[in-house]
Formats: sequence, C-alpha cells, structure tokens
Amino acid sequence: MADMHGLIDTLQFVFAPQIVNGLSIGVAVILMALGLTIIFGLLDVINMAHGEFYALGAYLAVSLLAAGVNFWVCLVAVPVLMLPVGYVVERALIQRVFDRKDRHVLTLLLTFGLGVVLEDAFRVVYGPNTVRVDTPIGGAAQILGMYFPNYRLFVMAVGAAIVAAVWIVVFRTSMGAIVRAAAYDRQMASSLGVPVARVYSATFAFGIGLAGLAGVLLAPIYSVFPTMGKDFILLAFTVVIVGGLGSIKGAVIAGIVLMQIQALASLYISPVWTDPLLFGVMVLVLMWRPRGLFGALGNG
Amino acid sequence: MADAGSVIEAVRRSEDSRRRSLSAFALAFVAFGVAFAAIAAARGEVFFLRLATEALIFGGLALSADILLGYAGMLSLGQALFFGLGAYVSALVLKNVLPSFWLAMLVTLLVTTLIGLIAAVIATRARGVYFALITFGLAQVVAKVVFNTPSLGASDGIIGVPVIAIDLGVGQVTAASPAAFFLFCLAFIMALYCLCAYLARTPGGRVLAAIRSNEDRVPFLGYPVTRARMLAFVLAADVAALSGALYPVLRGFVSPELLYFEVSGNAIITVIIGGMGTLIGPLYGSALIVVLKSVIGSYTAHHLIVIGSLFVLAVIFFPQGLIGAVRPSLERRFALRAAPLRR
Repeated sequence: MADMHGLIDTLQFVFAPQIVNGLSIGVAVILMALGLTIIFGLLDVINMAHGEFYALGAYLAVSLLAAGVNFWVCLVAVPVLMLPVGYVVERALIQRVFDRKDRHVLTLLLTFGLGVVLEDAFRVVYGPNTVRVDTPIGGAAQILGMYFPNYRLFVMAVGAAIVAAVWIVVFRTSMGAIVRAAAYDRQMASSLGVPVARVYSATFAFGIGLAGLAGVLLAPIYSVFPTMGKDFILLAFTVVIVGGLGSIKGAVIAGIVLMQIQALASLYISPVWTDPLLFGVMVLVLMWRPRGLFGALGNG
Repeated sequence: MADAGSVIEAVRRSEDSRRRSLSAFALAFVAFGVAFAAIAAARGEVFFLRLATEALIFGGLALSADILLGYAGMLSLGQALFFGLGAYVSALVLKNVLPSFWLAMLVTLLVTTLIGLIAAVIATRARGVYFALITFGLAQVVAKVVFNTPSLGASDGIIGVPVIAIDLGVGQVTAASPAAFFLFCLAFIMALYCLCAYLARTPGGRVLAAIRSNEDRVPFLGYPVTRARMLAFVLAADVAALSGALYPVLRGFVSPELLYFEVSGNAIITVIIGGMGTLIGPLYGSALIVVLKSVIGSYTAHHLIVIGSLFVLAVIFFPQGLIGAVRPSLERRFALRAAPLRR
C-alpha cells in the first residue's frame, strides 16, 4: 500500500510536471517546425533564417509593447506585420536562385546569409542584452494537486488551436488544395491556372508569420535576445527531420514525442546530454527511414 | 559528328587551362604571402602578422569546406566540429604530453581520421539538405557537450598552451616569432592545398566530380558512390583538423567558440566569396574577409551585417566567387599561349 502511494506520488510530483513542461516546450518547437516544414514542403527551401524570424517576431512585440500596444493586439499584429516581410524575402532573394540547378544548396545559403544579417541587425537596433517581457496572464492554476503557470497553459491551448487551424487550412480548404497542388506538381498546377509564383511567396510569408507568432507567444516565457532563434532552431530542425521534411503531421507527432523524451530523460541524465540523446534518436530514425517518419506535404 | 578523340582532346585542353590558371592563383597567393611577411617583418609589425596567420588557419578550414561543397557537392554546416577537434587535440598534446609540434599533428591526424570515419558513417548516408542539417546538428551537439565538460575546461577552454619551437630538421621555427610562424603556416596550408589539388586530379577525385554532376548515374558506371563520399568527408575532416591544430600554437589557448556554428558558417561564407570548387579561392576568400573585418571593424563592431549582405549578393550574382570572376580572362590567355589559334 505504501508502495502504491509512493508510485502515485512519483507520478504526480516527479513525472507530471516534466510532462507538462515537455508539452509547453513542445508547442513552441512545433510552431517553429510547422513553418519550416510547410516552407520546405512547398518550396524545397530549408529556411536557415527561421530562428531569426522567430526572434524578429519577439523583437517586434518588444517594440510594440514599448509603444504602449496591448499584448493581445501584438499577438495578432506581429504575425500580420511579418507577412509582407516574408513575401518580400521570397520575391527578392529566393525567387532569384529558384530556377538554378543546385537550388537546394543556394536557397539554404541565402537564408543562412539573411540570418547572419538579421542577427547582427537585432544587436544594432535592440542591443546585445536580454529583454524581458512581462507575462500577460499572471497566477497559476491548480490541476490534480499541482500548480501550473496560467500563461503556459494558455500557450499550450493557443498552440493546439494554431496547429488545428493550420491543418484545416492546408487539408480542408481550397486555398490549401492549391498549395498542395503546387507542391505536388508545379507545372500541372501552373497550367491549371494556379498562380504558382504567388502561391510560393504567400506560403513562405505564411511560414514566416508562424515563426513570428511563436516569437510573440514565447517572449514572456524565454525572454528576448539576439541569438534566441539559434538556441531553438536545432530542436526545430531535429523535429522536422524526424517527422519528415514537408510533413505537418510528422512535425506535430515528432514535436510531442521528442520533447517528452527530452523532458523525461532530464530526470535521469544531465540536461547537457539530452541534446545528444535527441540527435541520436534523429540519426536512428534516419537510418531506419531516410526521409523521416511521414511523407511530404504534396503527398499528404 | 565530332569524333571521340577530338572531344577528349578538347576536354583535356580545357582542364589543362583551368589547372594552369588555378596554379597561377596559388603561386600568386604564395608570392603575396611572402611579400607581406617581408614588408611586415621589416616594419616590425606583430599584430598584422598574427592576424594574417589566423586568416591562413581559417583559410585551411574553408579549404576543407570547399572539398566537400565544391568537389563532392556536399554542403557541410559543421566543419567547425573537426576544426575545433584538431585545436583541442593539439592543445591537449602540447600542454599535457609533450610540446612537440609534429607529435601534436600526428595525434590530431589519427584522432580525426577515427572520429571522421564515425561521423562519415552517420552523415554521408544522408543526401542534400539532410546532409547539411545532420552535419549542423552533429557540430552543435558536440559543441554543447564540450562547453559543459569540466575536464576540457568547459566554457573557458584550455589555456596556457606552451609556446613551442617547430623542428624542421634543418632548423627550428619558433611560434614566438610572428614572421617566421606566419611563413611556416603559409607553407603548411599550401601543402594541404597541394595535396587536395593533387587528389582532385586522381581517379578518386574525378569520381567525386562525377557524383557532383550526376549522382544517380555514377553507380551504373561501376564506381562506389558511398565510399567516395566517405573518403571525401574524412579528407575534409583531416584538413580542417590540421588547420585547427595550428590555432593553439598561434594563440596559446582554445575555447569552445571554435566549435560553434559561427565558425562553420564563416567557412561557407569564405568558400562562396572566394570561389567554390577552386580550392585556392577559399584561401583568397579568407584573406579578403579578414581584411574586410578589420577595415569595417575600425568603423563599427557590426561587421556581420556587411559580410552577410556581401555573401547574399555573392550567392545571387557571383556564385563563382572572386576567383570565378577573374578566372575566365586568365584562362583565355593561358589557352592562347598553349595553343595559338589554328585555322
């Protein structure tokens, strides 16, 4: 009987907080991974600047908050502001090398260069130091005898809603059908009257908007600094690769599973070794399935 | 129909003129280096000689990135892993075992070949962007582990590497003399360059070039793709590590920053700006970037904005880089000299 109590206590006070922790980080990583995977699924572009766009979203929120804008308005305004940024980047940079032979490498290099410039630009504009953003929802809720910060619960709820919304847009609307058609067969979609070039730019902008949204949402939790994107991008890439580049379902499932592995493993091993652990999982998955767990966006 | 003989002849001639123009660039690089060392030594410069030595060392890293990107078509975003590995191994040997340069190089070579083989098994299975992302991840993971390992000095790295004298058989070069050590590094890096340029002309090197232009066709011709990619990966790892092994000799310390993505990224920027697929281009690129950094650095601390923008422009407008922009006219001249126009 005492053992039973011990087990329940362990579950409740040791595992449950870690699981919730893993879920809240998982939501953040999934939001990043969604943008990455959608951009890759359609354009075949690995966006190395995705972490910097995430940081840009957070910094835009910092600026708007400083100007006296309400946090809830920021949550909508920042992704909207990011859309034209993404559109212009796709038009001005990516389209220029899109028809060359080794466009995979060239677009990766372009977005990498863009990331370098953006990161330094953050230092110029906002300084090198960490900026804190106040939590818009204070307090904590008591669930099953444990306390959870309200804002984290809110982020999880919003994240789940966004994932659902993205899924509905991509798989259940005509707009999504157009995007999937363009990803599946560019020429065919084009000859059926789909403005493929504009679909590409809009999709890129959409992915950037998601990164910006993640930046605003997470700013109160992780605070804002120039290299904030870099710390995150490896996790996001790992999730996307394990899930399968271009797969939305894969990004969500891999995001949840990998972040749970990380959260639970950190109970037993030093946090330093959780990164190699996740990386090892990724390598194993790639050996077993070289294209990740699930198929690409176009084939969804 | 052109007969096979004349096609082979034309290919050989174009390869000859390409090789000769690249050798001219290499000779010019050595000449610039020697002239620079002479002027700087005569004026008693220390700072600029040290800076130029560092440019050479990072040039060696860029050279290794070019072996993969320019010859095998593999974009590695983690060359800093091997550069840092070389720096750490060499620092540990020099500090804890024996202050002998050649022993440090030998141990670096052995350790890197072993670890490079393991990494090659993991990374070269993947193609294209997967390869890029795996090398990126591999380097990030190792950097994080080193940063948190107290026995490797954690975030401080390894300090207090002794100043050594390098035994050359006929005499000694001391790392304390800026000009002599610069010239030694020039010779060392150029030896690595010559080795790579030679290997690129061997049958194995040609298989790599074939893989780069059409990977699917090569196995049908009976060449082992995976083995060639692995060998290229290990060679690049060794070149990066041997360059990195010079770092503690120059600076007297190593730090985990050497393993960071900035270093890998910088190597790729250097390759693109200098000229990918030329091997000598990255060395020019490294020199150019160090000059740019110190010129821009005298105005602002934010040189990355300028260099990043330059890189983006180079990718769009000059994918052949500095060497590629100059080479065609030089090649035409060589072709004319080799074979005066016959009608």
